[in-house]
Amino acid sequence: MELNEFIDKDRVCILQGNKKKEVLLELIELISQQGEVHDIERLKDAIFYREKLMSTGIGLGIAVPHVRIEGVYHPIVAMGISHEGILDYESIDNQPVKIVVMIVAGKWQHKEYIKLLSLIVTKMKDDSLRGKLIRSRSPEEIYKILLNENNGQAIS
Amino acid sequence: MKIMDRQFLNIFSFISLYNLNILLILGLTIFLGTVGARIFKKFRIPQVVAYIIIGILLGTMGIGIIKEPIIKAFEPFNLFALGLIGFMIGGELKKEMFQKYGKQLFYILISEGLSAFLLVTLIVVLVGNFFFGSSKLVWAIGLLLGSIAAATAPAATTDVLWEYKTRGPLTTTVLGIVGMDDGLSLVLFAIASSIAVSLLGKTSAGILAKSFRTLYEIGGSIGLGILGGFALSSIVKKINEEYGILAFSIGIIVLILGIAKLIGVDILLAAMSIGFVVTNYIPRKGKEVFELIDKFSPPIYVLFFTFFGAKLNLGRLTLPLILLSVVYLLGRTMGKGIGASFGARLSGAPKTVQKYLPFCLFSQAGVAIGLSILATHRFPGEIGNAIVLIITTTTFIVQIIGPISTKWAVAKAGEVGLNITEEDIIRQSKAKDIMDKDVPLINENMSLTEILKVFSESNYLYYPVVNKEKKLLGVLTVDNIKNTLMTSGLNWFLLAFDLMEPPVVVTSPDTPMREVKELLSRHNLEYLPVVGADKKVSGFLEARSINRKISTKIIQLQKQAESLG
Repeated sequence: MELNEFIDKDRVCILQGNKKKEVLLELIELISQQGEVHDIERLKDAIFYREKLMSTGIGLGIAVPHVRIEGVYHPIVAMGISHEGILDYESIDNQPVKIVVMIVAGKWQHKEYIKLLSLIVTKMKDDSLRGKLIRSRSPEEIYKILLNENNGQAIS
Repeated sequence: MKIMDRQFLNIFSFISLYNLNILLILGLTIFLGTVGARIFKKFRIPQVVAYIIIGILLGTMGIGIIKEPIIKAFEPFNLFALGLIGFMIGGELKKEMFQKYGKQLFYILISEGLSAFLLVTLIVVLVGNFFFGSSKLVWAIGLLLGSIAAATAPAATTDVLWEYKTRGPLTTTVLGIVGMDDGLSLVLFAIASSIAVSLLGKTSAGILAKSFRTLYEIGGSIGLGILGGFALSSIVKKINEEYGILAFSIGIIVLILGIAKLIGVDILLAAMSIGFVVTNYIPRKGKEVFELIDKFSPPIYVLFFTFFGAKLNLGRLTLPLILLSVVYLLGRTMGKGIGASFGARLSGAPKTVQKYLPFCLFSQAGVAIGLSILATHRFPGEIGNAIVLIITTTTFIVQIIGPISTKWAVAKAGEVGLNITEEDIIRQSKAKDIMDKDVPLINENMSLTEILKVFSESNYLYYPVVNKEKKLLGVLTVDNIKNTLMTSGLNWFLLAFDLMEPPVVVTSPDTPMREVKELLSRHNLEYLPVVGADKKVSGFLEARSINRKISTKIIQLQKQAESLG
């Protein structure tokens, strides 16, 4: 399993908002434009329900909102970079969140889901990658960084 | 009312044997017998009593649908039923039982049989002297009745034990006694009739010839049965299909019964010997044989007992005979009671046996009636008729009271419901009876660390995940968690909510276990959450532990039965 299998040019962005709710909606909107998720309301409900259980701000300025829902057949990843930082994300280390990676998988894709989560979290622990991503100014730049990062380094 | 009755009866006499075909009679008998049993069950009266009463209503003493000729025509069928009953009783006589209860059975058998014999003989003679004068005649009747009194009918008694699924020392003792005291009764009858013959001064075979005859009857039937048992065992060992086993078993039983009839030995003993060999020679396969016969026999038993009721005819009863019947009944009941309880005490049988065995030995039927008919052949005239009428009258009473009192006694002894099979449990239980009620609930927001703690503290493979309201959201499996742990360090931010599987199928607490088993196999499920109407989790079923739970229940009941002895 490699990251570029899940990365799409059209699903990376520079986040406009600086509130948790706003940025989550931005990423959901991004996913909805692709048309792979039919029931966007369900996705919204699921994402916010999960955040209510416990914030997905996992520290180091990273958040990984993730959820499994019905009607999805391939895992979908969307990434947004916030230059300002999201202060109200309630990360475990109380740092503002700058990188938000949203992961949506099918209800029954337990294994893929866990692997993908693990892959992304492991990647994001890399300081230099994080630095590059945070400094990037456009979706194209983000996309390029991610593609390069993925060159040949398979993590399964 | 009287006129109504008469018209009612007329209608039925119009529908005579000629108008009713045999299948219709058989159908009516089985149908009404079964319906009667269902109704009687509401009043907690054993089904046998219902069959006999329905038989009386349909038979000679009732509306007369079942008439003499048809009963005569069905005599071989009755022997077949008796043979099946004998076979099933033989199946209960396991080696281990003799090792455990042998001495006890022997003491009780001798004691209850002899004391019934002596007491009946004695008081019949005392009372009879008053009516008949001639003391020789009275002594002959007394001795013959006494010897018949020693027999206890297995059919009605065991039917009660089987209906209420009893197990324990009382059940074992009753089975042993009713199975064997017919033999004792045969011996006593042979002795009594030869004494009677010499008392009455008739010329007949000598005592020696008589004892040979008895010895031949008992030995021959046992030998024949043992042969049949080995034949059946060696055939059945090689067959695996149920229908083959059933067909061969029935075939051999009927064959042996036929041979027994041909060579003039006792049918019941022969059938018991077949069962005895099968249960001890091939115990495991034998269990299957007995289960199959057990499933096969209910309609046969219904017919057997209803025909029995239909046969009863008390029309020619005179006052002295009624009095003698009462005397016989008293003597037999007291004799058996005192003898049984004395024998039980002497052999150190459990308290429940000492106390309740006397109430299980009232029943008398086939052997008693058979011997009384034999008496009419050997002593035609006054003696024979008196004996037949007395035995018929008392059989009628005792067959109604016997099963009820047996049921009462085994219930008092705490042995009801202890002899239950897995199938019975599945049939009787609902999801809520078998499910794990204390399976730990995993909260949706529990972290992996907390989940692992729960896992380590319990033994389940699957756990229901619930929200704040305890409503089911999904299921966590040990497999899910294993996958997660093998995939590098995520445990610090994953929740049960992220790790659970959605539930495929759920069931309600009131779903019968049969349906639950079907659901599990149809969907190939390893688990089944049990959810109430409010969607709250009320319990959890794991496929692997359902069978274990059922066998635990059975072992529990077995232990309970053993602890009684």
